[in-house]
Amino acid sequence: LECTMDAFLCLTSAYFPKWRRGHQTYKRTLVLLDNLNIRDTHSIFFRSLADRGFDLSFKTADDPSLSLIKYGQFLYDHLIIFSPSVEDFGGNINVETITSFIDGGGNVLVAAGSDIGDPLRELGSECGIEFDEEKTAVIDHHHYDVSDPGEHTLIVADPENLLKAPTIVGNPSDKPILFKGVGMVADPDNPLVLDILTGSSTSYSYFPDRPISQYPHAVGKNTLLIAGLQARNNARVVFSGSLYFFSDAFFNSAVQKATPGSQRYAQTGNMELAEALSQWVFKEAGVLRVGAVTHHPVGESTPPAAYTITDLVEYSVVIEKLSKGSWVPFDGKDIQLEFVRIDPFVRTYLKKNGDKYSVQFKLPDVYGVFQFKVDYNRLGYTHLYSSTQVSVRPLQHTQYDRFIPSAFPYYASVFSMMGGLFVFSIVFLHMKEKEKSD
Amino acid sequence: MYVPTGLFSLVLLTVALGAQALTPSHHLSLSDVARLQALLSQPFTDLASAYYSIVGLSKLGASVADENDACHFLKAQLDPMSVDSLFFAAEASQAISDCEIPVSNETRDILLAAVSEDSTVTQIFRAVSALSSLGLPLASQEVVGALVARIAKEDNVLAITTALQTATRLSQQADFGGILEEIEDLAARLDDLGGVYLQFEEGLEATALFVTAAYTLSDHVDTEPPLKEDQVIQLVNSVFSKKSWQSLSEAFSVACAAAALSNNRFQVPVIVSAQGPATVSHNQPILQLLVTDVLSNPLASASVVVESAQAVVSKNVILTQCIILSTCFDSGIFELNFMTSQPASGYYQFSVAITGDTRLVASQVELKVKVSTEVAITNMDLSVVDKDQSIGTKTSRLGRKAHGPTHYHQNFAMTFQLVDVNTGVELTPHQTFVRLHNHKTGQEVVFVAEPDSKNLYKFELDIAERKSEFDSMSGTYTLHLIVGDATLENPILWNVADIVLKFLDEEAPAAIQSKTLYMPKPDIQHLFREPEKKPPTVVSNAFTALVLSPFLLLLILWFKLGANISNFSLSPSAVLFHVGHACMLGLMYVYWTHLNMFQTLKYLAIIGSLTFLAGNRMLAQKAVKREKV
Repeated sequence: LECTMDAFLCLTSAYFPKWRRGHQTYKRTLVLLDNLNIRDTHSIFFRSLADRGFDLSFKTADDPSLSLIKYGQFLYDHLIIFSPSVEDFGGNINVETITSFIDGGGNVLVAAGSDIGDPLRELGSECGIEFDEEKTAVIDHHHYDVSDPGEHTLIVADPENLLKAPTIVGNPSDKPILFKGVGMVADPDNPLVLDILTGSSTSYSYFPDRPISQYPHAVGKNTLLIAGLQARNNARVVFSGSLYFFSDAFFNSAVQKATPGSQRYAQTGNMELAEALSQWVFKEAGVLRVGAVTHHPVGESTPPAAYTITDLVEYSVVIEKLSKGSWVPFDGKDIQLEFVRIDPFVRTYLKKNGDKYSVQFKLPDVYGVFQFKVDYNRLGYTHLYSSTQVSVRPLQHTQYDRFIPSAFPYYASVFSMMGGLFVFSIVFLHMKEKEKSD
Repeated sequence: MYVPTGLFSLVLLTVALGAQALTPSHHLSLSDVARLQALLSQPFTDLASAYYSIVGLSKLGASVADENDACHFLKAQLDPMSVDSLFFAAEASQAISDCEIPVSNETRDILLAAVSEDSTVTQIFRAVSALSSLGLPLASQEVVGALVARIAKEDNVLAITTALQTATRLSQQADFGGILEEIEDLAARLDDLGGVYLQFEEGLEATALFVTAAYTLSDHVDTEPPLKEDQVIQLVNSVFSKKSWQSLSEAFSVACAAAALSNNRFQVPVIVSAQGPATVSHNQPILQLLVTDVLSNPLASASVVVESAQAVVSKNVILTQCIILSTCFDSGIFELNFMTSQPASGYYQFSVAITGDTRLVASQVELKVKVSTEVAITNMDLSVVDKDQSIGTKTSRLGRKAHGPTHYHQNFAMTFQLVDVNTGVELTPHQTFVRLHNHKTGQEVVFVAEPDSKNLYKFELDIAERKSEFDSMSGTYTLHLIVGDATLENPILWNVADIVLKFLDEEAPAAIQSKTLYMPKPDIQHLFREPEKKPPTVVSNAFTALVLSPFLLLLILWFKLGANISNFSLSPSAVLFHVGHACMLGLMYVYWTHLNMFQTLKYLAIIGSLTFLAGNRMLAQKAVKREKV
């Protein structure tokens, strides 16, 4: 079997050489910009990406030579769309190709703004995020920055409104976040959308220069400033309603709410948040993988061809996390093992044991084809799934109880008959009749 | 929670930059200049970095911390055989007082030799600059010839820009020929990005150096640079939009461009912005405008004229032809007490002209000025409306602080008015929301309160109709009134009351999938089948005894009848037969406890054949014996 597996791997690697390349090379990134000047106004963000080894190709969004897929292969691993106002992507790129890029496992970072165009709104809808209309902005009359130019759209977002997931938003900090841009709401039917940063209760999204004549698209905490999505294939997408959020100006700016008596912070939390978000969306953080899986009856070291019901079994699995480009043991406290035959029969927590997670449990008294299944899906981490199929058979006829107390009369009758036969045969064969001898 | 406790009487005036006409949207603010200086003040690593630091700082009007040290560094690092080294040292020494680089004849020959058609444009530029900085004579016309020949070969933006820079070091009497026209040619090669930015695709450094070269050369030859106003503004935007510089040379080029744009004889872009924080309180109802050049240096010679002020919504013209005077000649701050015109709250479009200097670019500025006011809530009524009986509504007028739990089963209504504290006029702010916040679940439901024709806000909540928005969750809700507008200085977030809502057909709250998607699932322990209940062992033991009793009875009866085995002869066949017989019976037991059928049959075949043979022999012997008797 191993030989054929090796042959199979060789064969596939010949066809898909990308599979065999190290993780480090998965960093080809296409950056789509409204104009090339954004490369200068957002240079800190791009430099931090370049310093982390990303291979950035800057293109304007309407460049006619744009292409994501060539000869059925993706030309890039990641896509950054910093072109809010684009009305039509150039070249072969459109919402459909971006969606199939995500379906193919590509990661996308999108920054919009109040000048959002139709393609980005469509892309949002595909991912379960509804952008508000063009020329609207998130407004908050209670939490705006002192340097707001007049429409209360330069919003100070409290770090408490961040998603409680350090793998996505980085370590907790008390620095407020500056935001200026368009609001979003999550599609309530899409459970995969993550509310990474929400507005405060007093925020809403509307045209700043028109009186409110209809219910605003987003109100209060439903207003999403930054939203994310991890698709079922682990592709990640982050939507920011604000392109300014990533700008050098917002990274370096001081921040203070306009409410009298507010604390002044020398620097916004934008840079840390943007870095953490980019690490998450481009799969530098929150990536898990399964290593060796072993299972065997307790007291033995190899798995049998088939387990017997009620066996005591030990299962162990190695789970690793990507950290700074290398795989290190993952430290999780809530990893569960399921023993499944259509439905789970046993679900139990795995305990960390050195580098491995392991548990001992008694197989159920039901036979059939079962799976050891680890299905670990946690906020901010890739979906970890491992299943190992084993068969469980019933007791063999020799494995039942031989002497049941209730059946002692039956055993006794058999043994007494056998004893009787033996004694009778001796007596019958060797008895000397007295009458004859007398 | 914010409870308004009294009347506020402040009027705000806020200034915002409008974006109608093309005005510079980027410049170097004072903090940008400070960061640029800090970047340029790094310790020198080599002659090139010393050159960038010393000359860059001098362009910003600053100087290195220790000029003597810098001068020693230049002399120590100087390689008198290298054109580059001589250029860096000579140029840097010019920016430092009392620092002279020693020159030998050999040095001069090297520099002069570099000025030829065989050198690159950069080499020519460096040699020419070094010669002119060191005060050595050079033949301008020859340089022009070499440059023109080189440009024909190196037709790229950087080379041509460098040629322009070289020309600034030549004698004004020289015939520059085609070189001056290169400015216009280069300007045509600039990329227009969205009508806001104008830059070379070679990057910021090339753009900044072009700006420097164009203005320096225009000053040098005293002809107006062939750049239109819009182009100048777009160039300003692209040179100063980048606020974090990656290298010393980039910072140096920005500093040079800033110096060229703020100090030349033809075009000086002017930056008009609001002074200090964008909000000004009623105590100082004065619009303060800051008029500076791109380096945030005040333009002392300028004067500011407000040509008109127009309300954005009503288009009413408030001001015409009003001249603002500078209050302090050094600060560049111009003031206007706009409140004397008694404007209503809202946005005003100001047309501002900067005059007093013919060089000014972007001197026609459109400004958006905001007049803010203060709001108060009056006539607040909260009432329960019973749907079934139209009479019997209970209304309570709420004071500002009053709030307490009230029960509402059907629906309730709230009416209030919003008035301008300063003028008493009714207001209709942008945001007038009613927020209901569930204490237990944290759920919040927001409604928009709308004014009627008399600007009276009326908010009604029909609980039965709105139950889907509350997910039919009964409980205590906090009722907040949120009032906000960009022209209001005091946004209101008023915790009006705590109310208890009761939904008649309350459904069980549906499990929200997204909440549980990432949570551990509940543990499952397999429930093993219970073993069947067995009869008491006493019964089975009694029956065991009963079953064994016939065997005992047999032994007793045999004993009484006098059964014996006296005929037993200890022959091997007899012993072997009985031992074999016993083994076969024993094998039956082992078969029951340990063996499977195939093993048993194997053993049985061995034992059975032995026993058969032994039995046969024994019976034969017995028959013989009996015949003898």
